Amino acid sequence: MGNDARRPHLRSPEDVTTPIPFTVIGGFLGAGKTTLLNRLLTGATGRKLAVLINDFGALDIDGELVAAHGGDTIALSNGCLCCTIGDSLVETLLTLLERPEQLDHIVVEASGVADPGRIADLAMLEPRLARDGVIVVVDSGDVQQRAVDRRVGDTVMRQLKAADLLVLNKIDLARDPTAVRTWLAGQATAPIVEAQYGDVPAALLFGLDQLGTTHPGGEAENFRSWSYRWSGPVDRAALLAMLTETSTDVLRAKGIVRFSDSADRRSIIHMVGRRIDVSEDGPWRGDAESRLVLLGARSVLHFLERE
Amino acid sequence: MNTVVYSARRILTMNPNQPFATHVAVRDGRILGAGSIESLKGWGRFELDDRFAGKVILPGFVEGHSHAYEGGVWKFPYVGYFDRTSPDGTRSSGLKSIDEVVATLQAYERTMPRDGSTLLAWGFDPIYFGGRRMDLADLDEVSTARPVVVLHSNLHVLNANTPVFAKAGITRHTNVHGVVKDERGEPSGELQENTAKFMAYRAAGVELSTLLSDGAATWGFAKVAQLAGVTTATDLHNTLPESTVAAYLEASASVDFPLRLLPAFAAFSMSPDDGIARLRELAKKNSERLRFQLVKIITDGSIQGLSARMRWPGYYDGTLNGVWNVGPDEIDRLLLAYHRAGFQVHIHTNGDQASEVAIEAVERALATAPRWDHRHTLQHAQMADAGQFRRMKALGMCANLFTNHLFYWGDVHYAKTLGPERAERMNACGTALHLGVPFAIHCDAPVTPIGPLFTAWCAVNRLTATGRTLGEAEKISVAHALHAITLGAAYTLKLDEELGSIDVGKRADFAILDDDPLAVAPVKLKDIGIWGTMLGGRIFEAPRT
Repeated sequence: MGNDARRPHLRSPEDVTTPIPFTVIGGFLGAGKTTLLNRLLTGATGRKLAVLINDFGALDIDGELVAAHGGDTIALSNGCLCCTIGDSLVETLLTLLERPEQLDHIVVEASGVADPGRIADLAMLEPRLARDGVIVVVDSGDVQQRAVDRRVGDTVMRQLKAADLLVLNKIDLARDPTAVRTWLAGQATAPIVEAQYGDVPAALLFGLDQLGTTHPGGEAENFRSWSYRWSGPVDRAALLAMLTETSTDVLRAKGIVRFSDSADRRSIIHMVGRRIDVSEDGPWRGDAESRLVLLGARSVLHFLERE
Repeated sequence: MNTVVYSARRILTMNPNQPFATHVAVRDGRILGAGSIESLKGWGRFELDDRFAGKVILPGFVEGHSHAYEGGVWKFPYVGYFDRTSPDGTRSSGLKSIDEVVATLQAYERTMPRDGSTLLAWGFDPIYFGGRRMDLADLDEVSTARPVVVLHSNLHVLNANTPVFAKAGITRHTNVHGVVKDERGEPSGELQENTAKFMAYRAAGVELSTLLSDGAATWGFAKVAQLAGVTTATDLHNTLPESTVAAYLEASASVDFPLRLLPAFAAFSMSPDDGIARLRELAKKNSERLRFQLVKIITDGSIQGLSARMRWPGYYDGTLNGVWNVGPDEIDRLLLAYHRAGFQVHIHTNGDQASEVAIEAVERALATAPRWDHRHTLQHAQMADAGQFRRMKALGMCANLFTNHLFYWGDVHYAKTLGPERAERMNACGTALHLGVPFAIHCDAPVTPIGPLFTAWCAVNRLTATGRTLGEAEKISVAHALHAITLGAAYTLKLDEELGSIDVGKRADFAILDDDPLAVAPVKLKDIGIWGTMLGGRIFEAPRT
């Protein structure tokens, strides 16, 4: 053991030991984490999700969708699982990994005062997990007030700074949405997605699993995905600079790229919000075309078209 | 109906109508009366037992804040700085340097089978080693053929050897909070956060919670308590899985089990609806020696771990404020649910902001659902000031103060975490007494050893490990300290009508001492020998070393 190699983030059929993407949904009590999770669980995302939550009581799952209810686990007829965290998140998670079901993605709901970044650390230590994103849900109506509360202000700020992606939720309830957005952008470097009732595109949360295919306009109206292909080697610095530069607008990216400085090996790009991971994968097999898929706000696409 | 009258050098009853006696009559496991032999004759025929004629009898000590893990840790070698007594009565000497710790572990390692099994040790505390920390090389000297894991006394930090790090895959590239790195950027061998620690445990094949709470651990806890004169003790935070409940039921069913055990249900481990239903179910199994009735909420971390929630001006050394385990809104939600359901809730609060939040949560719960005699108790309340004690008094709350901290970490609090002023007034027994807040004092075993006479000694003398006195004005008398470890603690557990004093009708639970705590010099209080205990009329002699 003691393997230093960075783990690949993409699942492929020929590699059954590929780790499962691991997403943490953070945010203060009342921000809308449960509503968002409810949507993911019951929405037809086509993915087999396991969602770890603090309390079943807060969930609102249609009884018809429940296939089996076994104490601290609910199996849904769409293939998703929902588990309560109980006393130990780590133990619950390890138990989940022992289950026979093939899972496409694991999502953890952080407690209202937890630092979601610390929870995401789990994926850095557990080889069966791949750290995906830390998504922090923010209540537009009260985040500014919470942030200066002497008891919880520092907790809220830690959460905002830990985010790879911020969901500015309940935007319809904000008295001055622009002011909240401006304030939030000043507190944290993560890109901000506005939402009502936790309604954000599933692809934004779970990634772009169909590399190389793109469905412009297929997502919610404010989001679009965009794909690139390159037949020749790609300059590493230029590509990373582009991603960094656009990271307030490009919310997710995933790609397999042949970099000119490492042309014989596949490099995996995985970006959630402000966080960009590049890892070395195996040698190229057959088709050596680099592919990159981006998901972002509609406005950014003009910029990309110019490139 | 067999009546036994025990004579004693002196009996300290905690009953103000008759504070001192020479004889106590016991029938059916209860106290028939105390006084002189003449005054007890009216109860009819009795057998006179003079075995305690040279001893001093007190009500059995009540430890209001301990953990049954104390019984489990003794399966493993102790490598702490201070001397400590195991359940079989043997004394482990404190280890005064990292080299001594390594040598002790090497000797232990040689007694283990050559099967690659894990060596786990506990109780390590480097705070008196002049800043030197244990590293990978230290534990590699113990063995590189088996995993070696050393748990620190605070239970929040551990050290491990290279095989553990290799198997857990923790390297210089592991950028995870809690993996301590040295100046070269390599993992130092110390792991500080739950996530990192859990991975090390798994790599070492250690299932800590199972190891520490099985049947043998339950018995070990009762025995180590008995050695200290304790007849009633809490296991003050437990998720109460079936396996633990089964171990508690089985152990406490035996008349030889020398303890009344009160587990406190960990409120955050399930939804309040489920938790209340579970606790009500468990309460049906209550017996003389096992009581399910307490609920625990943990709000913040620890002061020495720099994770307590502090009010302004925060940590003396400028460390950022600590973390909430259960945040303010959740405290309200959990407290109100258990409060409405009629339970007594014990709330862990180390920092003064945590105490403030908990007090205000009780205030809101009472406004929403008025209730008399709830006795919700702040556990630790180490930094509570006079204003907070006044509010606790007004709300009908109790406090259980962590006086052992004054000795074990007082110097660190003075120099680093709290600074002189707040260190002087921490664990403010004098203020609690003066303002009339019912209070107990505690050890939080296994964080510090269980030993109510030592805990009382701390409240009376307020001496740190290096001999500094912290807070002359907060000292209390020996008599008040003895009250705090008997009737005072029983009150915080709602057991004061049943035990805690030597009075007609109460349980015949006694601590039997070699000497009189009111007669020895207060600074010698901790050194009084404990002959053993009586629990419900049964005698439990402590093994002597």
